[in-house]
Amino acid sequence: MTKWGMVIDLDKCTGCQACSTACQMENNRLPGENYQDVLYYTDRSQPTPKLVWFPRPCMHCEEPSCMHVCPTKATFKTEEGVVLVDWNKCIGCKYCMIACPYGVRFYTDEKPVIEPNVKDVFPGTGDLSWNPPYKGPQQDNAHGVGIQPHGVVSKCTFCYHKISKAPKGTSDLSNEDPALREYVPACVRTCAPTARYFGDLDNPNSEVSRLISDRDGARLLEHTGNKPQVYYLGRSAVVPGFKKS
Amino acid sequence: MSTITNLAPDQASISRISNLRLMVGVTGLVLGLLAGIGLLSGGHATFNTSSLLTWGLPVSTYVFFVLTSTGLTFVASLAMVFGLKDFYPVAKRCVWGAVVTLVIGFISLGLEIGNPIRMLWVIPTNMAVTSPLWWMGLFYLTYAILLFWKFHLINQGDWSSQLSKLVGIASFVAVIFAHATLGSVFGMMAMRPFWYGPMVPVYFLITAFLSGLAFIMLFINLDYGVNQSNMSEGAARAMSRQLPAIFAIVLGLVIVFTIAKTMTGLWTNVPENKIVTQHIASSFLFQFELWIGMVLPFLLMLTAKRHEAKTQVVAGGLVIIALFIGRYEYVVGGQLVPMFKGAWADGLIDYTPSLTEIGIVVLAVSIGILLYAFGDKRLSLSDQPNA
Ligand code: SF4
Ligand code: SF4
Repeated sequence: MTKWGMVIDLDKCTGCQACSTACQMENNRLPGENYQDVLYYTDRSQPTPKLVWFPRPCMHCEEPSCMHVCPTKATFKTEEGVVLVDWNKCIGCKYCMIACPYGVRFYTDEKPVIEPNVKDVFPGTGDLSWNPPYKGPQQDNAHGVGIQPHGVVSKCTFCYHKISKAPKGTSDLSNEDPALREYVPACVRTCAPTARYFGDLDNPNSEVSRLISDRDGARLLEHTGNKPQVYYLGRSAVVPGFKKS
Repeated sequence: MSTITNLAPDQASISRISNLRLMVGVTGLVLGLLAGIGLLSGGHATFNTSSLLTWGLPVSTYVFFVLTSTGLTFVASLAMVFGLKDFYPVAKRCVWGAVVTLVIGFISLGLEIGNPIRMLWVIPTNMAVTSPLWWMGLFYLTYAILLFWKFHLINQGDWSSQLSKLVGIASFVAVIFAHATLGSVFGMMAMRPFWYGPMVPVYFLITAFLSGLAFIMLFINLDYGVNQSNMSEGAARAMSRQLPAIFAIVLGLVIVFTIAKTMTGLWTNVPENKIVTQHIASSFLFQFELWIGMVLPFLLMLTAKRHEAKTQVVAGGLVIIALFIGRYEYVVGGQLVPMFKGAWADGLIDYTPSLTEIGIVVLAVSIGILLYAFGDKRLSLSDQPNA
């Protein structure tokens, strides 16, 4: 069975945010609710400062605490290892946002980060929270894809609307193969230095599996036990602890 | 003349307080409804909560009131489950108080949740048994049904039939489970060290009991015009003898718990606990909570004045404020460190409840005040079983 996962090479990532922008376009995200962000951490001070980039999608954890705490099973994991939110079931209790150690979940009805509120400029019809002039993927509420309805939580879907259409048994989804490009998640597709890889973690011959094995792929915040399906390569794949600035 | 002076002042103070209560309730209701209009037009975007800090004042208010309900049920159970007959005269008031505070809690949470109506069918049809929240819902629902039932029974004068006793015991057991799962909702969150720990349900249990006791100290005395000679002999005995002693013991335990939690937080190296505890402990709210809201009432309870209605009103009121602050600090404190946001959010999260959030609390509380006033007028809350 396929188990989709991602590998992000921090030695290649330039922190350009192209992945975040692509995700915003693909999934109609607004500032403050990016499914994909490039975080940065600073550590130490001059003359030995450290600056770390962390492209951060949802980790699609093997043991997703968001799913375990959800009182309605609105958050679920597909057979292919993708963690999704069924907007038809979500009651907006936000417990999943409390329980996700990676801070990747967003509630629809929040104060806008920038004014004017774009959602007010393009008001939604029916249950939908807004109606952007360009809509990316087909609306699929049962998998948390498309424009968010009011009162629910959403998150990165690994571009479920794309990857779920890939031919069965595909080991890697990359730009290399023109026939598969359509199915590659938007962030992976856009990354100019090819810092992101996407493929089947259960297939020992997939490129993602080999990279993880050859280069000691690390998962962030291992101590949480969530076992992310997103791996990081490079020496800087360690998250510094919280400091008050 | 002398008979009039014996009776009139007390009746007058009872009705003065009950009128004041009505006024506060109605004013609160109007203000709360105004906030409700804000919620209707602007939705939850009118809250100051965000993806950084998800649960704010309405959730901590929910926790405060459902735990108060728990505490009131505990006190009622002293008589109805454990046979401490001295507590019978206040038992019916406690049960009604438990109903009212539960309703306040549910209103506060209901207005916070994105799709509260959807809960009605998705929760029972999906059986999400790994979720502490699911269990909490199950137990609080069970508790609510049993509590309403118990009140209905005693309201009909059935205090001691087999059924009535059984419903009383069942609601006591249900609320223990309910409050324990509420504790687990927070205590199980290993990713939030400020909350995490198996002792949270115990902490909730003991503070819930204190909350119930404080409500009785304040509200039952107010109901009788802050004058225990207006009470029946039994009620006056319970209020002036046993209650202050139990209150002082439980308050003492809560003070120890609060200090222990604060010291542990200040001592630890885990930033999510240390930095947050430093932040909280250095705030005016916390200092007020500890010294004025807990230590002062504790000292009052050590004096001979603990038997007097006025002292009890002051002590009960202060402890209620302290516990409300404590719930807020606890719920918000667990979220102050941004969860994996890197240098985008490099300080503690800034959160002050918005007007709508405060309005929701005012609305829920004023509905509670009016419900309680209704009970006081119409439901003969001073009834007790015929001995
Ligand atoms: S990263 Fe968070 S939202 Fe994504 S699967 Fe893990 S726990 Fe759930
Ligand atoms: S907000 Fe929705 S997805 Fe999240 S825990 Fe609640 S019901 Fe589940």
